[in-house]
Amino acid sequence: MITDEIGTLSDTVEEAAPVEACTKCTACNTVCPVARSTDIFRGPKFLGPESERYRSQAEAAVTAGLDLCSGCKLCEVTCPSQVTIQEYIRRAQNKGAEERGRTLRDWVLGHTRLLSRFGSMTAPLANFGNRNPLVRLVMEKVIGIHRKRPLPRYQWLTFERWFKRNRSLPLVGRAREGVSRRTVAYFYGCWVNYNERRLGEMVVHILERNGIDVIVPKQQCCGIPAVVNSNIDLARKYGAENVRRLSGLPANVDIIASSTSCGLMLKHDYSHLLEIPGAEPVGARTYDICEYLWMLYEAGELDIAFQPVETRLLYHAPCHLKSHGMGYPATRLLRLIPGVHLDEVDEGCCGISGTFGVKVEKYDLSMKIGSRLFEAVKAAGTDSVLADCETCRLQVEHGTGAKSAHPVEIVARAYGYR
Amino acid sequence: MKADIAVVGSGLAALVATRTLQQAGRNALLIWPGLSSLYFTYATVDVLGYSDLTTTQPVDQPEAGVAQLIEDHPEHPYALAGLDALRSGTALLTEWLRDAGFTWQGSLARNLLLPTAIGTPKPSCLVPASMAAGDLRRTEPIVFCGFHGYEDFVPELAAANLSRSWGGDDQSVRAIRVSLPGFEPGRLFTSIDIARSFEDAAFRREVAGRIRREPAVDGVRIGMPAVLGLTHDMEVYSSFAAEVGHPVFEIPTLPPSVLGLRLFDRLRKHIQESGVEMVWAAPAHAAELSDGQCRRILLKSAGREQPIDARAYVLALEDTVDGALRAGVHTVVDPFFHQALAHHAVPTDRTDESLFKPQPFASVGYRVSNRLQPIGDDGRPLAGNVFVAGGAIAGYDPVGSKSRGGLAIATGYRAAREAMAA
Repeated sequence: MITDEIGTLSDTVEEAAPVEACTKCTACNTVCPVARSTDIFRGPKFLGPESERYRSQAEAAVTAGLDLCSGCKLCEVTCPSQVTIQEYIRRAQNKGAEERGRTLRDWVLGHTRLLSRFGSMTAPLANFGNRNPLVRLVMEKVIGIHRKRPLPRYQWLTFERWFKRNRSLPLVGRAREGVSRRTVAYFYGCWVNYNERRLGEMVVHILERNGIDVIVPKQQCCGIPAVVNSNIDLARKYGAENVRRLSGLPANVDIIASSTSCGLMLKHDYSHLLEIPGAEPVGARTYDICEYLWMLYEAGELDIAFQPVETRLLYHAPCHLKSHGMGYPATRLLRLIPGVHLDEVDEGCCGISGTFGVKVEKYDLSMKIGSRLFEAVKAAGTDSVLADCETCRLQVEHGTGAKSAHPVEIVARAYGYR
Repeated sequence: MKADIAVVGSGLAALVATRTLQQAGRNALLIWPGLSSLYFTYATVDVLGYSDLTTTQPVDQPEAGVAQLIEDHPEHPYALAGLDALRSGTALLTEWLRDAGFTWQGSLARNLLLPTAIGTPKPSCLVPASMAAGDLRRTEPIVFCGFHGYEDFVPELAAANLSRSWGGDDQSVRAIRVSLPGFEPGRLFTSIDIARSFEDAAFRREVAGRIRREPAVDGVRIGMPAVLGLTHDMEVYSSFAAEVGHPVFEIPTLPPSVLGLRLFDRLRKHIQESGVEMVWAAPAHAAELSDGQCRRILLKSAGREQPIDARAYVLALEDTVDGALRAGVHTVVDPFFHQALAHHAVPTDRTDESLFKPQPFASVGYRVSNRLQPIGDDGRPLAGNVFVAGGAIAGYDPVGSKSRGGLAIATGYRAAREAMAA
């Protein structure tokens, strides 16, 4: 990067790299899990910075091939010049969708929260439908959701309502005067709310066990399903709502997310891709749950009176976790627990990338991307595959038949939580 | 985040330093600022190809050549790292390659002379076994085989160039091209696409058949662009060579280097799966110093700066490749100490007009002490517990002298040992 004065160098380091910073080194293409699995995808270099040089607001968007980008962000993780490759692709995709109109599937998959809310309200029926071959055939034909992709099970009792019932004040945690040193706001996300309430219960239990007050502010979908389904405006609307609510929290309240991608939206994408005013301070106090627990450990505040958990585990690092730039805090944390035998598997992307692998024309590709991981998981033969991201867990279970869990489940077990 | 020893970088120097720490039972944290130079530059490990930038006579015995270099230039990074560091580091890397499932050839005793993609002979010390049959000290005639529509390797150019410097009669170097099933000329494809296709047995068999049908004299060896498998080391190569029926050797192509990708992917995976934690995507951009020690470095992580508090640090940065050093109009600045590493009246002073001449920018970097600590203008270490390895050390041109790999090994090993003792 060239600047006029040495004095401005530190400023340029902070900026997002402009498209000209791309040196066409092709590193992004070499790590792209989609480009590695199919030759119909031209790769992030061509669709991101190279095409960006020819895109202008006035002209019609050229979107051929853009939909094959799964949004894993490994290109950005790899770029030595810190070019925001993903953002170029997402913006172009969004512009294309605005011009030609969004499909029914764009709408459905972008409105995950609305859909999940409906699914949760009608849980027995929705779960039956999601497993019924005839319903799935219709879904495939009408919406374009592949019939073989197992859809997550909905729960009638949401996390929000569980929290209300089990904690004294509505949506506010148990105030324990004089005991708690810290207060955190839990951004539980749609997944915990509608599909895996138990994970949220465990997060609350672990934090409270460590004397931390947990509050659950009202919240909206983090917006990532809308981002990857060509609806940046919708994502911005959701994000702005979250930023407004979370900005209102007292300054000493940290924000915790247990979903890798929700956390990354709050930390990074709100202030970058979505350019939501006021998002930076929110991102600066957002922590991944394992990152936070490890921070407590280093500060000497984590209760490490763990019961032994005799188990063999395999850890898969989700792609978006790599984008956090915080290492793998889950592995450090779990190695504190006696009895845990933890191996890591480094086979790259699992292939599902949120809603990508759900789509009828992407399903086979998604399974092909994940095939290296599936083989490694099957060969390892462990009790459970751990991943911080919920869709990685779904994909690993589907691709291997193995059990999977969020790392905090092991921490909760070590605390005797059943 | 706290760490015992933090290694910053993603190239060979960083990997050797991390492996050295791991083998010594120390707890290393590998901080990866972005892509590795291995993707661009490494296909082989070059220890010393040319004794200085003016000679065209390649070095035959790299270890002896380095010993001589150390004697002649006591300020050279090889002299600072020491011959023992090169020997021990090479032994460590050779063993690691074996543990990680690679089949490599070569030793510090003797260089191989291998043809490049443009047909020039290049001295290399340690090479993948899939390249070894290209050694120009062997006498069998060479047929360069390219692919229609793939212009990153032009067999006619390689053959024309090589026949000028090597071989006797007109028949000793020739060029052929075959078409690849499914790769129509005019379509855009890269070495990565071809390498992926070669992992498919049917594709391999078909291409091998097409090469066999080309008229070729007995006893030739076939030089191919390095596309024989994306992630495998020898499996794809061995089965393909058997089907071709002649000795086959791979030639590194323009970036991205499939050979470098194979190497980096598997070493990274191996070290990570054996318990070394990696922090991805976090450029380190500042150091906090007090009392002559580095207390912490700051990473640019999502949402905020992430401090890394380690007892010692190995900065295995790679100059221009990984964007570690920042160039202004007149000055090149390092990201940690914000030292001006070089001054130029105009930016063009950094480059020579001829692409193939030594480039001044290549030798810009940290001046280091005899323990590889970065030093300031007064010659004193900027921080007692920081050690520099790899391309970011000042005062040598790793590309011109074909010594990038050897210096990465020697300085990576030495910096790790120093960090352990700090």
